[in-house]
This record gives sequence, structure tokens and C-alpha cells, in this order.
Amino acid sequence: MSTTVLSASGGDPVAPHAAPASKRDLWIVFWIFPIFFGLFGVIFVLLARVIPPPRPDVTTDQKVQWFAAHATTIQIGFAAVCVVFGGAAIANGYVAYQMKRMSSGPTFAYAYMGSMAVGTLPGLMLVALCFLAATLRPGRQPRIIALLYDLGMLSFNGSLGCFATGYLAFAIAILYDKNAIFPKWLAYVSIWQIVTEVIATQMWVSSAGPYSWNGSIAFWLAVIVFGFWLNCQGICLKLATDRQPAGSRPLD
Amino acid sequence: MTITEPQQPKTDLPGDGHMWFMVLGDLIIFGAYFIVYMVQRAMAPAAYLQAQQHLSITIGVLNTLVLLTSSWFVAQAVRATATADYERAIRLICGGGACGVLFIAIKAYEWTTKITHGYTTSNEFFMFYYMLTGVHVFHVALGILILGIVVRELRNTRRRRLSMVEQGATYWHMVDLLWLVIFGLLYVMR
Amino acid sequence: MQILAEAEELPKATNIKTQLVALWIAAASALILLVAFIAFPGFWPPMSPELTADQVASFYRDHTAWIRFSMVTFNLCGIMLLPFFCVVVVQMKRMATQSQVFAYCYLSAVVSGATLFALADIFYAAAAFRPGRDPDLILLLNDLGWMVFIAPVGMIVAQNLMLALAVYHDNGPNPVFPRWVGHLSLLTLFAMVPSACAVVMTNGPLAWDGPVSFWLRNGAFATFTIVMFFVVRAAIHRQAIEEGVAR
Repeated sequence: MSTTVLSASGGDPVAPHAAPASKRDLWIVFWIFPIFFGLFGVIFVLLARVIPPPRPDVTTDQKVQWFAAHATTIQIGFAAVCVVFGGAAIANGYVAYQMKRMSSGPTFAYAYMGSMAVGTLPGLMLVALCFLAATLRPGRQPRIIALLYDLGMLSFNGSLGCFATGYLAFAIAILYDKNAIFPKWLAYVSIWQIVTEVIATQMWVSSAGPYSWNGSIAFWLAVIVFGFWLNCQGICLKLATDRQPAGSRPLD
Repeated sequence: MTITEPQQPKTDLPGDGHMWFMVLGDLIIFGAYFIVYMVQRAMAPAAYLQAQQHLSITIGVLNTLVLLTSSWFVAQAVRATATADYERAIRLICGGGACGVLFIAIKAYEWTTKITHGYTTSNEFFMFYYMLTGVHVFHVALGILILGIVVRELRNTRRRRLSMVEQGATYWHMVDLLWLVIFGLLYVMR
Repeated sequence: MQILAEAEELPKATNIKTQLVALWIAAASALILLVAFIAFPGFWPPMSPELTADQVASFYRDHTAWIRFSMVTFNLCGIMLLPFFCVVVVQMKRMATQSQVFAYCYLSAVVSGATLFALADIFYAAAAFRPGRDPDLILLLNDLGWMVFIAPVGMIVAQNLMLALAVYHDNGPNPVFPRWVGHLSLLTLFAMVPSACAVVMTNGPLAWDGPVSFWLRNGAFATFTIVMFFVVRAAIHRQAIEEGVAR
């Protein structure tokens, strides 16, 4: 039967035939969030060397040399990405799940899930594939290697619309939510994220200076705000998981 | 006093802790942008100075006056709400919002003239100009939306709260403050 | 399974019917995809990463028609498997004793994975679009197509992990899926993980034409999907009977 019983805390229905309720499923999924982003940091910063990004204002030969110098770690790191990047889906899926517990309705939860799921492709995989293609055949023509360098970096740093949409959905859902799943200030931090993403669009135009893909404004400020926001989101997820009544499920 | 304050913590802070967090964070981020701007300017003072000549200081002053007036309206609206004069508060906030719309209109005019004269983002100073004023205009638009929400809440006799008006005012004053700094950096500092 | 006449108009009955429709759409799409798979000359045998640019270019020149046919078909029908995975999500949400969190993460992974699959055939199709293009550019497009098709198994890993965890946590009196589905999910996942090495190997079993990265990976995924078709069908029937919609 699909009738559900509203739990005492109001809003979250309790699963039918509930055995002694446990939150183990929530905690398993929650911990994948920091584990994945930790791996992401190690791979993208230490192995693949795309955070901080290599410079856009270099010659074709310098780009070829850069790939040659980092080929091994790029290959190890990005091959690992091919296996573990599903963690992004789980992390984003868990946020969307918590959003479904809000009183603001399911629309923005699905919008968030959709935007982030699609954004994973240009925002994560495309740079991995372009750089792997470049390191797979170092004997490729330099102009092609230079193309892969640009394509990879631009798609990684420049895939902003998907994420701006996702953050907007997140912020609006929080502001309308009466169940206080996430605190209101997290919505405001998400709005800063959107603003920095919009400003970062200038990297498609500038190849040097503060607005290029490694510039102080389009990259460094954006990445600092992102790092702050991600940590806030993670902490708020943990608090939400703590507070969620065991055995409850989101409104359908 | 006939205003009910549902579970409002008894602190001296007007408005809402979340809004202050937003304001402070916003000021920090903008502060970072301003520092980067000043550093970049110090590296190429002649080029920046030359580009700055093309900005009309008159329009800048006009925009500043418009925004200061709107802030005055909004501040008066807070006082009106505190004395339960809701009709006056609503009128004042609408006045503040109208000034915000006027600000955006003047800014749009300014941008149009600049673009048709060919000053686009290819010049580094103008890149900063468009970026800073653009983000600021986004904040003004958001502020108008917030003021609209405040008016809607004030119209509803069951939802009138001083804290709501104070939150809106805090945000609006921040927008005004940011403009003053932008005006100083881009228009005046030559 | 027979839908009871008195239950025909209920939303519960429609829910069952739409799930079955999704299932059959997936079955039809899978058959079409099989045809496309057989039609693509690059899979028989799988193209070696060690072919030179000229060899790859002449491959695309000589087989343009079949390549285009198969890639257009993949393009159209690849995503049509998505409703099937959504039925799995619906069934996962029915599982007792848990908060449905695995179902949501599963959905998220499915959407991302489907997007990636859509990208792969775009690369192959682009390579076949202008056979007169410079061979080294065709080589690049071919490389990207193969790499996107074979190596990014991460989303399938996430999907299958979520499904396995959900099945293991489904401890109520009426589990939605039998427990061995969890074991099979994990087995499939492990069978597919090694193919990530296809992005760095140009020969051997782990290269994208090798038995591990190509045949084991695709065979495992196809087998798992076909088995799940029957498992899901049985689960829908059980749901219909449990909810009093069918007999």
C-alpha cells in the first residue's frame, strides 16, 4: 500500500513496515561526499595539475612540453577519475535527496539533480578525456595537442551555466523551505557562487590578466568562494543527516 | 506597540543574523575585487587613466544621488514601521524601489553609450568597469526584488514584522555602500 | 498478470501500467541498439588503438555509410534505455526500512551516465561526417569516441553500488528484488572497472579493443541489463498483486 504515516516531527513520512529504524543508509551516502571531494582534490590538484590551471597565454610548444612533463601523473589521475567520478553523482544526489525533504516542493530538487548531473560531463569528464587523448599519443601534431589543452581547460573552468542553474535552484529552495533542512545563510553563500560563476564567464574572452582561466578574479576568487561553499554544504549536510528522524523518507 | 515579534532573539542586532552574514560576506568578496582592481591599476596607471577619461562623472554623480535618496527613503520606512505607520512605510519603500529602477535605467543608458562608442571588454579598465557595475546592478535588481517582498509582507496585516523591513534595509544600505566605493574607485580616483 | 477490472481506473493501476510500458520501450530500444552494435564495422573486430592515422582515416572513408547508420541509431535510441533505469528507481523507492536515499543517488548517476554515452557516438559520427578531413584530426575524433565509450565506468560503478546497497538494506518482509541482485550488481561493477585503463593502454587486454576492456565490459553490462529486465518485470508483477491491482 502506498499510504504513508507522517512522523511525529511533521513533514517526513515514515516508511511502511519499518523495522527498527536505522540511519545507516544515510550515513553511508553522506560519507561518500567528503571521500569523493577529497579524492577529487588529490587527483585534480596533485596528479592532473589542473588546479591551479596551467596558463592560457603560452605557445603551442610550451603546451606540448607541459603535457610531456606531467604525462604520467595526468594518466594515473584521470584514469582513476574514470572509475571514481560516480562519487559526484552520489554527492549531488544526496543533496537533491535532502532538498526533497524541504517544504518547498520537489521542483528545485529535480532541477538541482538535473543541472549537476549534466554539468558533471563538461565540468569534470571533458578535461579528463581531452588530457588523456593528448597524453595517449604524444606524437600527435602540436597544433592538435594545443587544441586539446585549450578545450580541456575551457570546458573545465568555463562550464558555468549548469552549475549556476543548480546553485540557483538550491538557493531558492532553501529560501522557501519552512522545514529548515539547511540554514538560510547557505542560500546566500550559494548566491555568491552564482555571481562568481557569472563573472568567470569572461575567461572565454580573456587569455591573460585577472579574467583569464587562471586569473585572480575568474579563477582564484571563484575557487576560494567555491571551496568555502563546498565545505559549508558538506557541514550542513552532516547537520541535516544528524537531525533527520530515523526511518523517515522524503515527501513524494 | 502593536507589532508581534515571533521568537525574535533579544539582541541589539536589527534584522536577521543571516542577512548580516550575507552582507559581510558580500562586502568581503567585493573588497577582494576592489583590491585586485587597485593592484591591476597600479601596474598600468597611464592606460587606466586614459580609459577613465571616457567615463562621465556627471552620470556617476547622478547615480550616486539617486541611490543615496533611495537609502534615505528606506531608512525612513524602517522608522515608520517601528511606529506602526504601515501605509507610510509602504509608500517610502516603493519610493526607494523606484529610485532603484531609475538607477538601473541610468546605468543602462550609460552602458549603451559606452558600447556604441566602442569601449568594450577588450580594454582592461572597461572590463573592470562592466564587471563591477554589472555585479552591482545585479545586486540592485535583487534589492528591488527584496523590497518588493517587504512591501508584500507589509500589505498583509498578519505578516507585518519590523525585522523583515530591517533586513531589507540592511541589504539596501549595503548596495548603496558598494556603489559609493565603486563610484570612488572608477569615476573619481584619477 | 491480469489487471483487475475493478482496479483499472485507480492511480495505482496506472502506475503499474506505465512501469510496464517503460519496460517494453527499453526492450525494444535494446533490440535496436543490438542491431546498431552489430552494424558498426568498428566493433568487428574492435578497432585497435595502434592503427595509424591513415588507417583510421581510410576506415572512416571505406565504411562511411554503415558508421553513420549505426551512430545515428545509437544517437536516437541510446537514451531510450533511460526509462528502464527510471523503473528501477521507482522500485527502489518502494523498498522498506530505508530512507530512499539510494534511489535518488542512483537516479543522479543514471542521468550523468546517459549523458556520457550520448557524447561517445557524437565523436564517432563527427569523424564520419567529413571523410576528407586530415587523418590526424580523424584519429583524434576516433580516439575521443573510443575513450568516452569504454573508459568512464564511474557512473555505472555508482549506479550499481547504490543498487547493491539498497538491496542489502531491503530487510522487510517483502523485498523488492531478490538478494542475489545485489551480488550481481557488484560483480558487474567489478567486471567493468578495469576498462578504465583503456585510456592509457594501447595494446593488451586492457586496451579499448582488448578482451577485458571491450568484451568483458560490454558483455557484463548487457547481461546485467537483460537479467534486470526480467527481475524488474517480476517485481512489478509482485507490486501489482501486493497493491491489489492484479491477480
